[in-house]
Amino acid sequence: MALRELSSLEKFLGLKKPNKYSTQGGQKVPVLQNSNGPALIGLVTIASHLIREAKRPELLGDSAEQRAVVQQWLEHRITRLDNCSKEEINIILKDLNRYLEDKVYLAGNVFTLADILMYYGIHHIVVELAVQEKERYLNVTRWFDHIQHYPGVRHHLPPVVVLRNRIYPSGRH
Amino acid sequence: MTKENVQGAGEDEQQAQSKKALKKQQKEAEKAAKKAEKQAKLAAEQQEADEDDFAKDRYGISPMVQSQQKLDRALVRVQDLTPEKAEQQIWVRARIHTSRAKGKQCFLVLRHQQFTVQALLAVGDRASKQMVKFAANLTKESIIDVEAVVKKVEQKIESCSQQDVELHVERIFVISQSEARLPLQLEDAVRPEGEGDEEGRATVNQDTRLDNRVIDLRTTTSQAIFRLQSGVCQLFRDTLINKGFVEIQTPKIISAASEGGANVFTVSYFKTSAYLAQSPQLYKQMCICADFDKVFCVGPVFRAEDSNTHRHLTEFVGLDIEMAFNYHYHEVIDSITDTMVQIFKGLRDRFQTEIQTVNKQYPSEPFKFLEPTLRLEYKEAVAMLKAAGVEMGDEEDLSTPNEKLLGRLVKEKYDTDFYVLDKYPLAVRPFYTMPDPNNTKYSNSYDMFMRGEEILSGAQRVHDAQLLTERAMHHGIDLEKIKAYIDSFRYGAPPHAGGGIGLERVTMLYLGLHNVRQTSMFPRDPKRLTP
Repeated sequence: MALRELSSLEKFLGLKKPNKYSTQGGQKVPVLQNSNGPALIGLVTIASHLIREAKRPELLGDSAEQRAVVQQWLEHRITRLDNCSKEEINIILKDLNRYLEDKVYLAGNVFTLADILMYYGIHHIVVELAVQEKERYLNVTRWFDHIQHYPGVRHHLPPVVVLRNRIYPSGRH
Repeated sequence: MTKENVQGAGEDEQQAQSKKALKKQQKEAEKAAKKAEKQAKLAAEQQEADEDDFAKDRYGISPMVQSQQKLDRALVRVQDLTPEKAEQQIWVRARIHTSRAKGKQCFLVLRHQQFTVQALLAVGDRASKQMVKFAANLTKESIIDVEAVVKKVEQKIESCSQQDVELHVERIFVISQSEARLPLQLEDAVRPEGEGDEEGRATVNQDTRLDNRVIDLRTTTSQAIFRLQSGVCQLFRDTLINKGFVEIQTPKIISAASEGGANVFTVSYFKTSAYLAQSPQLYKQMCICADFDKVFCVGPVFRAEDSNTHRHLTEFVGLDIEMAFNYHYHEVIDSITDTMVQIFKGLRDRFQTEIQTVNKQYPSEPFKFLEPTLRLEYKEAVAMLKAAGVEMGDEEDLSTPNEKLLGRLVKEKYDTDFYVLDKYPLAVRPFYTMPDPNNTKYSNSYDMFMRGEEILSGAQRVHDAQLLTERAMHHGIDLEKIKAYIDSFRYGAPPHAGGGIGLERVTMLYLGLHNVRQTSMFPRDPKRLTP
């Protein structure tokens, strides 16, 4: 799963030469053997490396504050979102919904790696949501639809249908 | 212990004893005093009671009405107590909804069906203390006859249905007394769910209601629901009679299961067994073959389905239609949808009071429909669902969640709560459904939906004995069991179609309620057989 993400990320970044990854451990953490240094271990580490390789540092945040927010969401993806239990899904969606109330992207107004990796990570949850639930977490759905349509992002994942109009009366969920 | 101590102890003992004795004496004195007090009180009360009760003959418990006499007395209904009757002295028979005593006054709220009025009894030259006390002690739900003067009030009495008047009681008699402990409180039974949770007040759960149905049916909400249901039945009959339909009665004890063997009740029939009819289907069709052209019937339907859902009953009232047509089964669909629209209009125009009463406890959006009724093809519906992200096959039947989602999509797109879905896939319909002439995978069958839930399943029927036999064999049905049915088509049968609705389900969905047991007076389901 992580390997597919990295390959999609490479395509998004326009990196000509795809890297060869291996995995380690039961969790299948991705590993990138670097010719000029120690191996890079972990999805976030490798992704950040790829971004620097592609010379697109703005994807990690423009200001110090933005960079911190991006790192926070990347960590959230790995520690809380991956392998979360069924009970936690609603909490995660509720928190994300509240967070996205006044933001276009996770880092505010700019598209960053946080959006990409959170999108990859949350896809398997959103694809299973019923229409009524997608309306309940309206901001998550809005952000998700935006990211999945962002040029070059949605490589390996099937599109999720998001309806234009609300079909459930609001406040009656 | 030394002798001194012993002596001391002895003295102590004596002192203790005298202390004990003192205490005992005190206690006895207290007891005696209390007793004396009580006796004095009783004596005083007795005296009070014996004091001249000048109103003795203006109140009391009437002897049981055994038709002893024919009183020429007109009783006014609570709903007719309006300012026009101000200053008139009238008799009212109603139930005690609530009673509250405050010093020298007693406030009663009298109730009859959906209507309530306030009544006042005050100590004065018309009512004695004993009379007011008697009124205050009457149990809730007792039926009383009250003679009173209707008085206009300046400030509207918000809590009653008759807000502009109140009764000043002259005479009050109990016709039928209620036991003091009621199995459920009527105020609790009409409280909206949310309000109950918020204010920490009780609401009554469904099982308690159904176990004590007689009391539950007295609530204003229940009265409104069943009056509206009676309206549905009446509008159904009136509309169809006006269209030239004939009402028929079909047998409910039958020899072979009509819809399929699984969900049928068996009854012992002398030396053999018989079944309770799952639908009047076969007999409706036989009436068409007998040249009645357009028939309908209203009667019980028995389904032995072990479904414990919000919309299934084992016994319900079926309103069934069957009609011969000229060239196309859409003539029948148009007739049925027009009937439904007439029912909706009739309810909207004549039962607003009832709809508002139900909405007070169960708020919902008003029922919307289009004229002419919206008709979608099954293929379109599948496309709409797929566009909303549902994965399903083109010839797959609609599951209940998909039906509900489709209902919401249709509501959003066309703004209607009522629509018809035409041309269902043949594979999911019963054996007597006529296949589509242009596409063997589909059929001339249709379902109708209210608020996203199915209320009617219908189709053009196969009226050719040959084709019917083929279809039955294709479905693996024992031809012997349906021989009489197939035979009825051998001697000239007109093309015909029809469908049936459930009275309880239609009432439930029209009002936007959520459980069919609320619209069935004495519901039957796999777990309930009484009352």
